[in-house]
Amino acid sequence: MSWHVTAPLWEAYTAGSLNTSAQASIEVHVTSCATCRVAARTYAADVHPLWDSIHHTVSQPRLPALLRVLRRWKVPERDLAVLGASDSLALSWAVAVGGALTAVIATAVAGARQEFTFLLLVPLVQVVAVMAAFAATDVLHELVTATPVNKVRVALLRAAAALSIAVPSTAAIGLLVPNLDGLAFAWALPALGLVLAALVLHTWCAPWTAAGITAAGWTALVAAGHSHLGEAGVQAGAACVAVALAAFYVVRTRTLQWGGVR
Amino acid sequence: MSATATLDHVSVHFGRTIALQPTTLTLEPGVVGLLGPNGAGKTTLLRTLATTLAPTTGRITVAGHDVTGTHTQRVQARRHIGFTPQEVVFPRAMTAFAFLDYIAVLKEWKDSPARHREVHRVLELVDLAERANSRVSKLSGGQRRRLAIAQALIGEPTLLILDEPTTGLDPEQRATLRNLLSHAPGTVLISTHQTEDIAALCDRVIVLSAGQVRFDGTVAALLAHAAGRVHVGPSASVGAVQTWRTGTGQIRSVGGEPAAGATTTEPTVEDAYLLLRADQPYPSGATA
Repeated sequence: MSWHVTAPLWEAYTAGSLNTSAQASIEVHVTSCATCRVAARTYAADVHPLWDSIHHTVSQPRLPALLRVLRRWKVPERDLAVLGASDSLALSWAVAVGGALTAVIATAVAGARQEFTFLLLVPLVQVVAVMAAFAATDVLHELVTATPVNKVRVALLRAAAALSIAVPSTAAIGLLVPNLDGLAFAWALPALGLVLAALVLHTWCAPWTAAGITAAGWTALVAAGHSHLGEAGVQAGAACVAVALAAFYVVRTRTLQWGGVR
Repeated sequence: MSATATLDHVSVHFGRTIALQPTTLTLEPGVVGLLGPNGAGKTTLLRTLATTLAPTTGRITVAGHDVTGTHTQRVQARRHIGFTPQEVVFPRAMTAFAFLDYIAVLKEWKDSPARHREVHRVLELVDLAERANSRVSKLSGGQRRRLAIAQALIGEPTLLILDEPTTGLDPEQRATLRNLLSHAPGTVLISTHQTEDIAALCDRVIVLSAGQVRFDGTVAALLAHAAGRVHVGPSASVGAVQTWRTGTGQIRSVGGEPAAGATTTEPTVEDAYLLLRADQPYPSGATA
């Protein structure tokens, strides 16, 4: 062992005046150093908090890389446990990036139907990414329903984590694809509405079914008049629909069914 | 003794099918067994109590909170409930620890060290501490069943609802589970086809059939219903509900008129259950 915890370090540790990384370093060191374990008895008036902390440190499974990034961003541990459930976030982010790349390629080869293809696919990337975040844990629906957690919060947490990658990925496409002019970001508000529509549908059906129904509806709308999407009136309408769906989602989870959000 | 949960004229309809007839029950601390054939309404009753299925009519309270009232009341009730459904399909990529940690978060264990201690506690209870970091897909069927039970035990719920918890467990694991449930605080409501579990564990037994409560009483009262009606002899009783040849070559008959040379034997819970199912009308003393 190349070092031991010194008396000043022990005093600072027991006083709680060390920063988090120094504190963690001592806790990890003590697990492998018999000398310092003996010293811990001398310096710590009550060793139980120390052992509890060590136990917590060594028993906690290592988080996946994506979640370690989120932890650095101060996302609470309990939220990381939700996001890390069954690697749902990894699947969602893979779908988001893969979907964005697919949308780029499809738009590039669409020729005269470039705008149609772009506006059809890009909002659906958001929907699929969000529903992918729910798909992995959907099998636990009944178990989750019986818990007191705020299901709306969990759902929004999942959706936000999925969109944190899906939105920048697809926004980059809008900048890369030439000749979109005013339509480059016309998908944003409709996409928000579509995600909320999928979340509402998900209170009745499985995630991929909800995504499928939403995709079918969006395809019909875009086919009917994609060129109008950039108009202010259409954008305002999309915003109103999104607000209405958000309100309905909250009401739905609280009153319409016991099961609430999956 | 104060009631953990109450059902007041609770019924559940699925379209035109009535899965649960209007039912009134009071559940007090102790282990309560729920018996009945497939399709009797056991799972429907458990899901309704676990707040995952809304009743069509009636009122339910858990730990004093009106489950059928407001959303807030339902959330309050859920803080007192631990529920293991009949079938739990696990996300296969999760480890046992991560699964329980996830459920603990959903049960509002916000402080990470305390939550992890609780996860380790329930893993110890179901003898899965050694498999904490194993992926669920690597666990055996019995281990997954114990994991499903472990999640229900998080937070020592006042009302523990277990739908066929012993399915897939070997005799030793079943004995361990019985020991665990017999020490659980509050009310434990278990649905099972294993009548020996009822006999070994339950203070009270409820028999459901066709969505109705056909018997609600002590195990001793259920056994009393079969007293003197089970015989062992060289041939089957006339009109017996069930007969089978035992290991000694004798015929055991449940119900019916005993054949010549037959002797009366002590009934089991299974005998009493079979007789109860066969009897028309249902015996006096049974509630409906």
